[in-house]
Amino acid sequence: MKTFEEKWTAWLDDQLSGRELSEFEASLPDKAAAQAEKAEAKKLGELLKRELSAHPLKNEEFFSHQLRERIVQESGEQRRERARRSPTSSWWTIPRLLWAGTASLAVFLICTVFVMHQERPAEESQYLTQILNARVDPVVSPNATVSIFEVKQDRVTVLWTEGLQTLPADYAAK
Amino acid sequence: MQTEATLAQSDVSELDLVKRCQAGDTEAFDELVTRYRTRVFGMIYNMVHSEQDAWDLAQDSFLKAWKSIGRFRGQSSFYTWIYRIVMNVTIDWLRKKKIKGGDAEFDDAIQLREIDPASKTVPKTEALPHQAMERDEIRARIEKAIGQLSPEHRAVILMKEIDEMQYHEIAEALGCSIGTVMSRLFYARKKLQSLLRDVYENV
Repeated sequence: MKTFEEKWTAWLDDQLSGRELSEFEASLPDKAAAQAEKAEAKKLGELLKRELSAHPLKNEEFFSHQLRERIVQESGEQRRERARRSPTSSWWTIPRLLWAGTASLAVFLICTVFVMHQERPAEESQYLTQILNARVDPVVSPNATVSIFEVKQDRVTVLWTEGLQTLPADYAAK
Repeated sequence: MQTEATLAQSDVSELDLVKRCQAGDTEAFDELVTRYRTRVFGMIYNMVHSEQDAWDLAQDSFLKAWKSIGRFRGQSSFYTWIYRIVMNVTIDWLRKKKIKGGDAEFDDAIQLREIDPASKTVPKTEALPHQAMERDEIRARIEKAIGQLSPEHRAVILMKEIDEMQYHEIAEALGCSIGTVMSRLFYARKKLQSLLRDVYENV
């Protein structure tokens, strides 16, 4: 769907035809004024064409000569720049940097997993320790503690008591 | 006037020149520059109204074209392609100039008003001195009016009225839609009509 501005421009430039032209002209509220403006636009176009089209390029050959010089200069600079950068920067292209980064990350993750796997048994104590409720009279033995140590590999259990006057008869480790 | 055969021949040789340029042949590029330098310079001059700036911008445009000729795929004519570069370079320059605050008056427009009628610097023409002066004044008025348009509106009206380019060619050169071109033409014409009515009615 063309806007009014687009239709008007096309109409001024005689680019409307057939049904589109008749519809547009029928939509104009004042056709005589529109025709006058169209004539004005033509005059403006002719004025611009007459006054602005003839601006010659002086020293044409010098223009081309200067351009050739600049092209040669730029090409030389580009070659020098490429030569200067080629031994170091050409190898470290962006894809290679990405590959190097990914590979480093993978190595890091593998090492981390390996180290964690190695360390996991060390984190677990080889002893099972329980602090047992000492069913003792706190008045008689106020600082009494009873602990049980079990060495998993050797299947040895040690009962460690401190501060007890006597071991209660109904003691049971849970 | 070119016949269809000569037109086709020139198109083929232009493509051939472009292919040679893409292979690094500077002589082929020189040939293309020779073909288009006057039109390119004229268009830029009408945009910036300064010979020195137009010269520099035309140089920059051709240099940029040489550097990016490898990307030209031949989907449009070489002229449309180089016009796109020219317009990018020129519009960009005009915007920067406006930001710097140097867009108040154009150098050449000032020079034209300052010319002494009796001075030897008046261009030698067939016209009588008072006619030459009158023409310079008209030209200065037009340039001043065009200077009041935005760079994009300037580009559109000049390409349409001076170079007689089609809407789609202008759209390609400016990288916008045909609708945008037509809309910009509408506003550019309205503005110039209001600024130059007395000129084109009395000439």
